[in-house]
Amino acid sequence: MTGGDPRYGDGVRARMERPRGVGEFTPGPDVATGRAGDREQGAEVVLQCRVTAGRVAEARFRAFGCPHFIAAASWLTERLTGGSRDDLERWDWREVAEALEVPAAKFGRLLTLQDAVRAVAGNWPGGAASTV
Amino acid sequence: MSEVIYLDNAATTAVDPRVVQEMLECLGPCGDYANPSAVGHAPGRRARARVEQARAEVAALVGADPAQVIFTSGATEADNLALLGAARFYRERGRHLVTSRTEHPAVLDACRQLEREGFEVTYLKPGADGIVEPAQVEAALRKDTILVSLMQVNNEIGVAPDIGAVGRLCRARGVLFHVDAAQGAGKLPLDVNRDCIDLLALTAHKVHGPKGIGALCVRREPRLGLVPMLYGGGQERGLRSGTLPTHQVVGMGAAYRIAAAELDSDGARIGALRQTLWQGLAALPGVSLNGHPTRRVPGILSVSVDGVEGESLLFALPGLALASGSACAATSGEPSYVLRALGRSDRLAQSSLRLSLGRFSTAAEIQYAIEAIVAAVTRLRAIAPPVGS
Repeated sequence: MTGGDPRYGDGVRARMERPRGVGEFTPGPDVATGRAGDREQGAEVVLQCRVTAGRVAEARFRAFGCPHFIAAASWLTERLTGGSRDDLERWDWREVAEALEVPAAKFGRLLTLQDAVRAVAGNWPGGAASTV
Repeated sequence: MSEVIYLDNAATTAVDPRVVQEMLECLGPCGDYANPSAVGHAPGRRARARVEQARAEVAALVGADPAQVIFTSGATEADNLALLGAARFYRERGRHLVTSRTEHPAVLDACRQLEREGFEVTYLKPGADGIVEPAQVEAALRKDTILVSLMQVNNEIGVAPDIGAVGRLCRARGVLFHVDAAQGAGKLPLDVNRDCIDLLALTAHKVHGPKGIGALCVRREPRLGLVPMLYGGGQERGLRSGTLPTHQVVGMGAAYRIAAAELDSDGARIGALRQTLWQGLAALPGVSLNGHPTRRVPGILSVSVDGVEGESLLFALPGLALASGSACAATSGEPSYVLRALGRSDRLAQSSLRLSLGRFSTAAEIQYAIEAIVAAVTRLRAIAPPVGS
């Protein structure tokens, strides 16, 4: 037997050990920011996207929460890259739940991530929906 | 150093090799494996002698007479036998008990059972330092109070109330005093006569003995009544039927004998290691000690770490075996009820670590633990959004 913790899948483990997409951008007209959650409730995220030609050129995050939540935020920065505002408005938390094998007890935290994605879409540079 | 540094000695300890050796002498075809109740033959009498020797060793650690010691399966059973057994025996005398909100579930759940049977229980709230003071107990006593139950050492934060003062108070008021000494026996001095303890719950596995064996010390003079929970062969003076596991009993005796001999030296060494650990962690901003700084057992350190989430902190420490709270409650995901009772916020309670040291903890392990925790906290805080951003 190994001492590996069965609560976490490989995707969560890999992203917790080497989280990608951590950080923030210098504020500017091409940067959209979305915040969601509450540290007192155990999950808080700040998600930022730098937008070029109506699409996410790069995304970054900062997160306070459990390993599933941090790993999902990291996963999201790559998933959103290349997406339009419409893509962000349609993004559904179930996608990351499946990708990272997140247990049902943590689904509520993924909704917090979805709230942050929606907030980014709401703060989209220029305000208008993408037609690209 | 081993692959994983073991800092969960409040959950359980490694069996001391000296204890293992004595236990082995009671196993196998050449060992003293016979039923210690079968005193009609020589092997049975040898096993009985082993059991009585162990009974005397257990009694000696807590200043008791060997005849007071009733072997059980552990402290949980001893707590249950003490509370349920005494309350049911004395129910015509009164139906009120006093305990604290930060007791082990073995006591709290037994109290809940008594409430279902018509008893009333007062749950005292400890101070912010985790200590229940004798004055609180005194204020809670009523004419119909039959029993007070307090733990010698809290299993989550390691604080130790003034057991002797509470015992003398109870004795003066004619109220039975039960002490759960699972975490304290063999680590802090305890004497059932000096401390006026009527019922004392003990276990072996917290003090480098085997799991699955404990004892209840029951006052003999004047004789204290208990309604047993198990019926059968009438072993242990009818209070705990069932064949005594000689090897387990012998293991407990050996563990208690060694603990008595090494209490001072182990305590000083482990206490110094805990202080080193605390100083190393306190160098981090936002780290606070849970519980009274000095009225505590040497081996338990509980800290809350602001700015990190508890589950992620544990995840980030794969090289350390430690607890985010009581091992009994850690699977629930709920913030520790002990830390909540101390007034910690849910967030701080959830981001607490219990590091518990034992006889085999080393300075090198403590140094490794400090470096690992500091690195993990620093990394997780760097991922988190700035507070108030």
